[in-house]
Amino acid sequence: MMKRRDLIPVAAIGAVGVYAATRQEKHRVLPAQPSTVAVVKAANYEADLTGQMARGIAECGLDVRGKRVLLKPNLVEFDAATCINTDARVVAAAVEVFERMGAAEVLIGEGPGHRRDTWDLAEQAGYRSIIPNFDRRFTDLNRDDVGLVKSFIDADDMYFPACVLRADLIVSLAKMKTHHWAGATLSMKNFFGIVPGNVYGWPKNQLHFYGINESIIALHRVFGPKSFAVVDGIVGMEGNGPIQGSPKPVGVLVMGGDLVAVDSTCCRIMGLKPEKLSYLTDASYGNLTTDRIQQRGETIIQVTQSFQVLPAFHHLVGS
Amino acid sequence: MDTSALSSRRDFLRQTQNADGGWGYFPGKRSWLEPTLYATLALHGDAASAKSFALIQSWALPAGGWRTSADVPDANWTSALCLTVYIARSVRDKAFDQGLVRVLRTVGAEGNFLMEIAQFTNPAMVEFDNRVQGWPWRPNNASWVEPTVHSVVALKHVARLPWESSNLLSIRARAGTAERMLIDRRCDDGGWNYGNSRVWNTVLPSYPETTGIALLGLQNRPAAELKPSLAIAEKYWRETQSPLAKAWLLIALRNFGITVSNTTEPATVKPSRDVLVAALQCLGEPDGGHQFLKTEGIPS
Repeated sequence: MMKRRDLIPVAAIGAVGVYAATRQEKHRVLPAQPSTVAVVKAANYEADLTGQMARGIAECGLDVRGKRVLLKPNLVEFDAATCINTDARVVAAAVEVFERMGAAEVLIGEGPGHRRDTWDLAEQAGYRSIIPNFDRRFTDLNRDDVGLVKSFIDADDMYFPACVLRADLIVSLAKMKTHHWAGATLSMKNFFGIVPGNVYGWPKNQLHFYGINESIIALHRVFGPKSFAVVDGIVGMEGNGPIQGSPKPVGVLVMGGDLVAVDSTCCRIMGLKPEKLSYLTDASYGNLTTDRIQQRGETIIQVTQSFQVLPAFHHLVGS
Repeated sequence: MDTSALSSRRDFLRQTQNADGGWGYFPGKRSWLEPTLYATLALHGDAASAKSFALIQSWALPAGGWRTSADVPDANWTSALCLTVYIARSVRDKAFDQGLVRVLRTVGAEGNFLMEIAQFTNPAMVEFDNRVQGWPWRPNNASWVEPTVHSVVALKHVARLPWESSNLLSIRARAGTAERMLIDRRCDDGGWNYGNSRVWNTVLPSYPETTGIALLGLQNRPAAELKPSLAIAEKYWRETQSPLAKAWLLIALRNFGITVSNTTEPATVKPSRDVLVAALQCLGEPDGGHQFLKTEGIPS
């Protein structure tokens, strides 16, 4: 008998809109308390990122003392004409903030989806020159040793990098972007980069066959409980993201410990409807609606910018 | 005779070999099949290579193929590379035959019924000819450039072995289809992206590393067909700062008989501690072993 996941490649390659329109709501566990999401302004990358990030994190009540922190930026591709990656200055600020907060160790890890020379990519994106002690901190997640996570999706186990499994706290340092398959890529989608290429290839095509939404949800279920999100929305990307879109200045950092709440807030800032993104509505836990999110810092209406989307995602905007 | 660059890289590989005979992607890490295979080729004729090949043989799986690493007991695209290494060492055993069967039975999923429907209903999403299939990174996934090239190179080596004509036909058919797939996926600039050339009506750029790799799978195509591809490969060779891309481009250009003058490493090179890059850089040197990835046409 054909299972639902047998049909997933159809959604992955050719029917995202149809899939999104016909999917069924999943049961989601609501946290006992509302989630705190901080939105802080940073007009550009020369602003006081460390101070603003520290202020936002403090609003969320995060304690990292004694913890092994892994920063997971979104390092995908480099094109000097646009803004694909989490800016190196945001990553550098995060290093400083988490060290000041008393983390036992602040490491950085990323496994780009299709470029195999991660170190060269880090060089081009300015990571090696801007981020203090980058070479010592960094692990190419595509080529780390691995450990097994049982029952990742259904009965399928999946391997993940050792440094991800060892981390006490994963900080998803995502970029605020539209995405040509997923609609929007934020702190949850950013976890695609922790799937190891040395097992699954470049890109991590296995995730497309599981289903992009299903994979985002599974990654969130496994790693979300030990995660915190900081989304670089200082300059986001609209249109044909996550690589070939256009820069979209928004001037914010968005952060919080509930990744569903953070990504929902980012969607609202981008002019997208989070309740139309199935990986948010179907996430196994987290707060999605504004009445369950305690907004700190800037209000959404103060910082909203309407992001352009591809025609396949017009259902995410408008009435 | 070793050049100093070749000699130092080979020394690095010898010094970083794990006790089990394999290599991790970086020194001190667990052994993985992929870096172990390239290092085995780069140290061909060396005692370290014999030791690593013994490990590779011990990783053969009963159902065909080779385990991915010390910790991952499943086969993936690296099994095709194993065939190339076995042939370089003139070893043909049961594991080789079973591995070959596995490679021949593995095919990109883009040709299956559901994927065809998906592409038919929305052809602009990913534009390619799904009738020409190559190889995936893992079974039941779609075809991508790099795993396809490794399989094509392996099959062309395999085709030089004595075979019954029916077996040779199936080998030739798969390799020929995969060559057409690589041509179909070629970008407008003559090089290759990692998989497709167009998504959502948007032309994708090629990349240096995938262009070098793709050319290895097309070594026996007519020269005129590859003229723009070799031109951009030479351009990439001059301009890229990526040690990995430079290594693949050098291997490819040498196997096309193209002399490249500047073999100086870029100043930004960080990981001479990168085992896979070091092994590929060895293979790219004049006597470094690039010929193990050189192919001839399949006899008819």
